[in-house]
Amino acid sequence: MAKVDHSVPLEYSTEENDLKIFGFWVFLGAEIMLFGTLFAAYFTLVDRTGSGPSGAEIFEITPVLAETFLLLTSSFTIGLAIHAMRLGSKKATLTFMGITLALGLAFLSVEIYEFLHYVHVGAGITVSAFTSILLTTLGTHGLHVTVGFFWGLFIMIQIAKRGLNPETANKSFIFSLYWHFLDVVWIFIFSFIYLKGMM
Amino acid sequence: MAKYFPLGQVMGFVFSLVLTVVALLVYFMDMSMTTGMIVLLVTAFLQAGLQFIIFMHAGESKDKWSIYSNIVYGFAMVLITILGTLLILLWDM
Amino acid sequence: MEFFERFMIPHPSFLIYVSMVLIVLVSIALVGVITYFKLWGYLWREWITTVDHKKIGIMYLLMALLMLFRGGVDAIMLRYQLSMPENTFLDAQHYNEVFTTHGVVMILFMAMPFITFFFNFLVPLQIGARDVAFPRLNNLSFWLFFMGAMLFNLSFVVGGSPDAGWTSYFPLADVEFSKSVGTNYYMIAIQIAGIGTLMTGINFITTIMKMRAPGMTLFKMPMFTWSALIANLIVVFAFPVLTVALAMGAMDRLFDTQFFAIGNGGMDMLWANLFWVWGHPEVYILILPAFGIFSEIISTFSRRNLYGYNSMVWSMIVISVFAFTVWTHHFFTMGQGAFTNSIFSITTMAIAIPTGVKIFNWMFTLYKGKIEFTTPMLYAVHFIPLFTLGGVTGVMLAMSAADYQYHNTMFLVAHFHNVIIPGVVYAMLAGLTFYWPKMFGFMLNEKIGKATVWVMSTGFLLAFMPMYITGLDGQARRMYTYSESTGFTTLNMVSFVGAGIMAVSFIMLVWNIWYSFKNSPRNIGSDPWNARGLEWATHTPIPAYNFAITPDITDSTSEAFWDMKHKGTEIFKGDIKKIHMPNYSGVPFIMSCGFFLLGFSLIFSMWIPAIVGLIVVLACMAYRSFEKDHGYYIPEEEVKATEKQYEKRGAK
Repeated sequence: MAKVDHSVPLEYSTEENDLKIFGFWVFLGAEIMLFGTLFAAYFTLVDRTGSGPSGAEIFEITPVLAETFLLLTSSFTIGLAIHAMRLGSKKATLTFMGITLALGLAFLSVEIYEFLHYVHVGAGITVSAFTSILLTTLGTHGLHVTVGFFWGLFIMIQIAKRGLNPETANKSFIFSLYWHFLDVVWIFIFSFIYLKGMM
Repeated sequence: MAKYFPLGQVMGFVFSLVLTVVALLVYFMDMSMTTGMIVLLVTAFLQAGLQFIIFMHAGESKDKWSIYSNIVYGFAMVLITILGTLLILLWDM
Repeated sequence: MEFFERFMIPHPSFLIYVSMVLIVLVSIALVGVITYFKLWGYLWREWITTVDHKKIGIMYLLMALLMLFRGGVDAIMLRYQLSMPENTFLDAQHYNEVFTTHGVVMILFMAMPFITFFFNFLVPLQIGARDVAFPRLNNLSFWLFFMGAMLFNLSFVVGGSPDAGWTSYFPLADVEFSKSVGTNYYMIAIQIAGIGTLMTGINFITTIMKMRAPGMTLFKMPMFTWSALIANLIVVFAFPVLTVALAMGAMDRLFDTQFFAIGNGGMDMLWANLFWVWGHPEVYILILPAFGIFSEIISTFSRRNLYGYNSMVWSMIVISVFAFTVWTHHFFTMGQGAFTNSIFSITTMAIAIPTGVKIFNWMFTLYKGKIEFTTPMLYAVHFIPLFTLGGVTGVMLAMSAADYQYHNTMFLVAHFHNVIIPGVVYAMLAGLTFYWPKMFGFMLNEKIGKATVWVMSTGFLLAFMPMYITGLDGQARRMYTYSESTGFTTLNMVSFVGAGIMAVSFIMLVWNIWYSFKNSPRNIGSDPWNARGLEWATHTPIPAYNFAITPDITDSTSEAFWDMKHKGTEIFKGDIKKIHMPNYSGVPFIMSCGFFLLGFSLIFSMWIPAIVGLIVVLACMAYRSFEKDHGYYIPEEEVKATEKQYEKRGAK
């Protein structure tokens, strides 16, 4: 086993752990640019609806609010999971992670409902430049949440089996960074796609 | 039980809910486009800052300046890209 | 039968049939040789699964040289086609395909792996590290790049090459006008290679920021490491833009979305915009490491330290921001207003300033230096004036009003070759010659090497100077022919001759490698050039663990090895201890094969194999999540024994 430094939280305690956390922050930089580009394309194409509907015609406030509160809360609970992990409680960590993933799943269900609704009202992905970029931007975020769901599940299995050690703690912490980041992206989607579109 | 709910994070969560409600005002109230956009920009960036600093502990390790520079550089490049793109393709086309 | 028809080439020609036969024969020969010498196990154990940054670097180098050959053949074909008016060597369609693949191959599959080779080989050595931050990710990066490159090259014989230019502008690149699967290859192969590049970027930023030897502050890093840091920073923030643009382009072609389509609100100009938001920073990703290499070479052979270290660093930091603010100059004529064009004209001219600072720094380094004209130095000395010429024509092109005259002419083609060849290609070849003994334990022949440089520069000038003239006279780029009455004939013939001379210089390079392999002495020690950087403080050949004792450069400058040799600064303090090393793994290779299957199936819209490929990729990721991988230790005794052997051979 590698050297363990006990003066810092478990997730930072080996050199490898420290590198992974730093590397993941750099990766998040790339993700900022990825979603930034999608936003650039969205703002360019938002009024180019062709023969399809516009945002104001298809957005519904209820599912959007539901998604927002589900994701905000899940971001809070994954923060609590990391806090519990630092207190050394395996049970509390797993509980909070479980709640987080359940909220994530609920978010995805609402999003799938939303997508079906769009297709139903004639705003499928092939209808216009606007619907293409709308569904691609939302879909990219949704895909990230889906990947995050399975990733989180794998980490929960590992914590349950192997306990809290430098390795699982490191994975959980990095996962929490990812999950919080998806919330950041959602805030921008919520503000500049939905609310601006319905204003 | 209370030890699992640190005050900082609970306050952060409450604050983020408040910011969401403030942002929702642009939907429920009649605002001009400019006012609305200002409200949305302020609330969105405050929320993002909240997540990065309180929830993601961006400033807790010895690499905090690298991490902050990374995020700031990222946001700066995104803003340049978005504003440049809109300038080229919409505002000055 | 219908199933197989899609794999046919839509515009077959004699040349393509010849290359099909050649590809099959070479593949059979390769498999035969490997099987005959029982090398499969060796290849798998020592190369395919390797996480050693030096070996991964050498694999990048091989790919770069291979692709240099392929892109070079394309170039000769293009120049031959244009050497005479109304030439019938290539028809319009074939010409389109050749210039498209020439551009993509040279930029993305030759220049990119070449600089990545230098990142891999040099950065850990220059900062005194044992490996990169994520050795296994590094292996994955290589194989993703490899699969992307192979997929792209497959287009030549299966299904048809892309033919919409390396910029692949819409609406031309849409299914309506590009009916073959060629552009699908473009969208998907570059995507796969691009993901690999993005991971390389993350890997090297982490390596440089976190793994420097004790005492090496940021402003004590060797200049190449600085250039690698900045280039990788640009990679991490520019490549996601390409990822998004390619994904949108691929969706437009495969799933009938409307991003860039005409009608239904799509905007073809958005593609051009996004492409260049990535494309311009990409230019700096290529040129900054080249500057880094030249900085190392010029200070070594001027026998003095680099002039203006701090201004070199700051100019690169400024470039890292400005690189993202100039992209519009690639499409001044697209239709945006004079206001926008003026802004981007000014930023473009402004970015010439930090570049100019670097040119002056090199010249001040040469000034009063004890210059020694070795082959790498000769490349560097040719680079300075030739590159400056390219820079000056770049400032001409930066003036948006004048650009209406230059746009889409041979003048532009001359300009960007004028910066890329003396800038990037010369740097890569100079660096290759310079670090060759460190890699392979013998030097390349100096006589042949210097002759190569002179032949290459002669060929370069003959090939590209005429294009400036024909360009100003109105010869359009990407046109497969012209009539005799235009008067372009002589100059285009000169250009072809120049291209031929450049081809000779590349053959000389290959000959040099062969000749030196046969004849060069092997007892050259570990520092044949009397060099300066920490990378030369290792043994030759470099042991797997690089440094037996982690160097401590608290008391040294950015040229730690020079200080050690001439000022007696101690850098290897302490005793040899056991060394932690990462495990080799075959998973990244399998995962990349999954990506290849996924990509190939998407190109031909075959959904079931695409899903299989995706499952392979996801399964490898899941496997990685659950895997316990703690690396291994090289015991202290083994390190000591290895070090003894080097001492016995008289190293250092």
